[in-house]
Amino acid sequence: MSQFLVKEGVKNQIRKGEKLVATHCCYCGMQCGMHIRVNEKTNKVVGVEPRYDWVLTKGKMCPKGVTAYQTIDHPDRIKRPLIKKNGQFVESSWEEALDLIERKYKEIQGEYGRDAIGVYGGVSMTNEKCYLVGKYARVALGTRYIDYNGRYCMSSAAGGFNKTLGMDRGSTLPWTELEHSDCFFMAGSNTAECHPTSIQWFWKAKDKGAKIIVADPRETPTARVADVHLDLLPGTDSALANGIMHLLIKHDYVDTEYVNERCNNFEELKEMTARFTPEYTAKLTGIAVEKIVKAAHIFGKSPRSVVMFARGAEQQTKGVDNVSLYTSMALLRGQIGKFASGVATLTGQGNGQGGREHGQKADALPGYRKITNPKDREYIAGVWGIEPEEMPQEGVSAYEMFNLMEAKTIRGLHVICSNPVVSSPNINYVQKALEGLDFLVVNDFFLSETAELADVVLPTATWAEDEGTTTNTEGRVIRIRKVVDPIGESKPDWEIMQLIAERMGKGKFFPYKEPREIFDELRIASKGGKADYYGVTYEKIDAQDGVFWPAPAEDHMGTPSVFKDKFATEDGKANLAVCDWREPGEIPNTGYPLWLTTGRVVFHYLTGNQTRRVGFLMDQCPEPFVEIHPELASQYQIQNGERVKISTPRGEMTAPARITKAIRKDTLFVPYHWGKEQSINQLTSPALDPFSRMPEFKVCAVKLEKLTK
Amino acid sequence: MNKIMYLEFERCIGCRACQAACRECGDHDAKERNYVEYVDFTESRQTFPMLCMQCKDPACARVCPANAIQITEEGVVLSAMEEKCIGCRNCTFGCPFGIPKFDFEKNKMYKCDMCYDRTREGISPMCASVCPSDAIRFIDFDEMQELRRRRTQMNLIEGKKPQEGNKWDYVPEFFGVYTDSNQ
Repeated sequence: MSQFLVKEGVKNQIRKGEKLVATHCCYCGMQCGMHIRVNEKTNKVVGVEPRYDWVLTKGKMCPKGVTAYQTIDHPDRIKRPLIKKNGQFVESSWEEALDLIERKYKEIQGEYGRDAIGVYGGVSMTNEKCYLVGKYARVALGTRYIDYNGRYCMSSAAGGFNKTLGMDRGSTLPWTELEHSDCFFMAGSNTAECHPTSIQWFWKAKDKGAKIIVADPRETPTARVADVHLDLLPGTDSALANGIMHLLIKHDYVDTEYVNERCNNFEELKEMTARFTPEYTAKLTGIAVEKIVKAAHIFGKSPRSVVMFARGAEQQTKGVDNVSLYTSMALLRGQIGKFASGVATLTGQGNGQGGREHGQKADALPGYRKITNPKDREYIAGVWGIEPEEMPQEGVSAYEMFNLMEAKTIRGLHVICSNPVVSSPNINYVQKALEGLDFLVVNDFFLSETAELADVVLPTATWAEDEGTTTNTEGRVIRIRKVVDPIGESKPDWEIMQLIAERMGKGKFFPYKEPREIFDELRIASKGGKADYYGVTYEKIDAQDGVFWPAPAEDHMGTPSVFKDKFATEDGKANLAVCDWREPGEIPNTGYPLWLTTGRVVFHYLTGNQTRRVGFLMDQCPEPFVEIHPELASQYQIQNGERVKISTPRGEMTAPARITKAIRKDTLFVPYHWGKEQSINQLTSPALDPFSRMPEFKVCAVKLEKLTK
Repeated sequence: MNKIMYLEFERCIGCRACQAACRECGDHDAKERNYVEYVDFTESRQTFPMLCMQCKDPACARVCPANAIQITEEGVVLSAMEEKCIGCRNCTFGCPFGIPKFDFEKNKMYKCDMCYDRTREGISPMCASVCPSDAIRFIDFDEMQELRRRRTQMNLIEGKKPQEGNKWDYVPEFFGVYTDSNQ
């Protein structure tokens, strides 16, 4: 059990008979510090107490964070393995569940080959577990088909950063520096609702005179406080970024010395952006010319600026282009690698950063190594104790795995920490693909929509029932603490993978007694890679409030700011993005005349499997809604609160209308946290970014209809 | 207790963490006592928090026929005492700000007590502790005054010119130097 830890000199309320355990929230990439209150007699979690001393969040929490502890001892928790018999789940022993899994896996792999079993991971779990999912797929199951829900989250950011900067660390600077910045350019991020505790840093900067520019089709709580709100059409970020860069060049805001010394492709970029005059940009993006000009001047004049983006810009068929172009804006201004300036993506999932570094991705091995690179294969095979030839080849991306299930190439699937029948685009198709499987195993602690389809559901421990580390949105590796023992017969995911590995005759490759041993192996596996964790230890994390990777040596303190002297590309120079504007995968037409975009609300997290079970959060936001501009609503004769039907060629749903001027007149917005008939992902488009394979959740054409009585 | 609850309405992002946190305070019986409202949802996302202002001469206590609403020596107006409250709801009608809430199951009133068991130890109340946006803060009186002076200074730096409708938000014209720059 974790040691009781409250910092000296920090006043907290500690009630009689209780202890506080310092940990972090289980939800988004901010990984807010919090204390969990534990009754010492009953050893039960009884509540939450702010953690004022946590350097990034200072005790602040959003409503999800405040209520996060309520999911630990929740009545809906799955406490014993469930096996589906005659269409009904029946509680069973671990022995029986593992017997069945062993038999089925061996049967399927024996008949159709090793690749017939796939693994679908997630990144709302610790680095230790994320790392082990990759090893489990490749060593225990020997399958090439592994991918994870981060494909729907961070893959475009990763692709864009790798292309331009040569390395994918979500933020090039520590966020405690943000208060010293002069300008924030935020694209496709409703940070006030999606990462609420980040707002304090923007306010601190604003108090010193910083400007905020927000590009978003909606006037979100973030856009509302912006100095300029660029209300662009969904899917037009690349045109906007090109247009801003056109003006930066035209008005001589380019840091020529920096660009000459540290960047490639400037002449090509100049040529490409020449066409993107404010008028042309305005035509493509639907933003008024004055706003584009004003934003460019504010951004261009600011001595220290940070360009930030999130899923709005990334979940598009041009996700990688958008990220590369926005990053290039920061490069033109000579901002990356300097104090209080740089570029950052706002990580959506708790361990979205760490979870994508250590080999859960179809083409990746730990430490951002590549499975296609013979040297990388050899190194990791050495760490894992297998022959390099045994290492499976590259697999396919998350959504493409469902194509392979439909084609019967993948016949069995193990889903760990994810809920793809809610989070995928075009879920009617995804659900059919999963239903067509011969065998589906799901690890979860609540019966998610995906778990409902499973043949076996294995009960896992929550974040508060296991030790480990996560890497927050800044790239800071932090400690998650075990607060209580796992409820019922539930086990942490790493133990489950270990048990199945044993059954598959690969037990000797998984000899762990505790998460620390997995972390120590991860440190070695990542050593020498781009995401180098070798110098990160549990002790160092405690001693210095987290360690920023890369930390390549045991005595290395970590690297809060990256790219100070050179970039991680082969020639050490950043590659400015030269990308033309492309249309989204689907554009409005006569049948489907409006734009549809999706996103989050502050009260729910991802597919809502956790937050939809918390009373306070459901009271605030019980169901999805359609945001409609009053002008559009009046043309369709729709009143506030009235249920309306929306549809695309892929699916349809009904939801109450919420009429607000805080959205474009040609765009509808629906949050995505619900499943089945309440899921907007029945409608969303599975068009993929050609490079990152990110589906285009944020843009498609939609039809709006008034329901007749 | 010389700390101040300092609200900056325009900073509110509508997340309602303050309400979730209010339920977590020890004596709060998992019921929130504060409010977050939209100014006008159709127009914009602007919300604002609303808390008990702990009146010097509170109407809720004055209209209580049972003398159930106690005021601490620090000036915190507490919820109705369980043994005294007769459930008449006078306080909920008397408060000009609509703050006290009524528990129809237990037939008694409850309201914000500034997390008395925290604040009397100098620990920030739950709402101010968690507010991610600094819309609710629990700060020293001096810090508050400094913040107010700073706002005025920021208006000068930003070069905003007072209009007829908002001139009282700014320092008098003879005092500062305004610029006409839009940037």
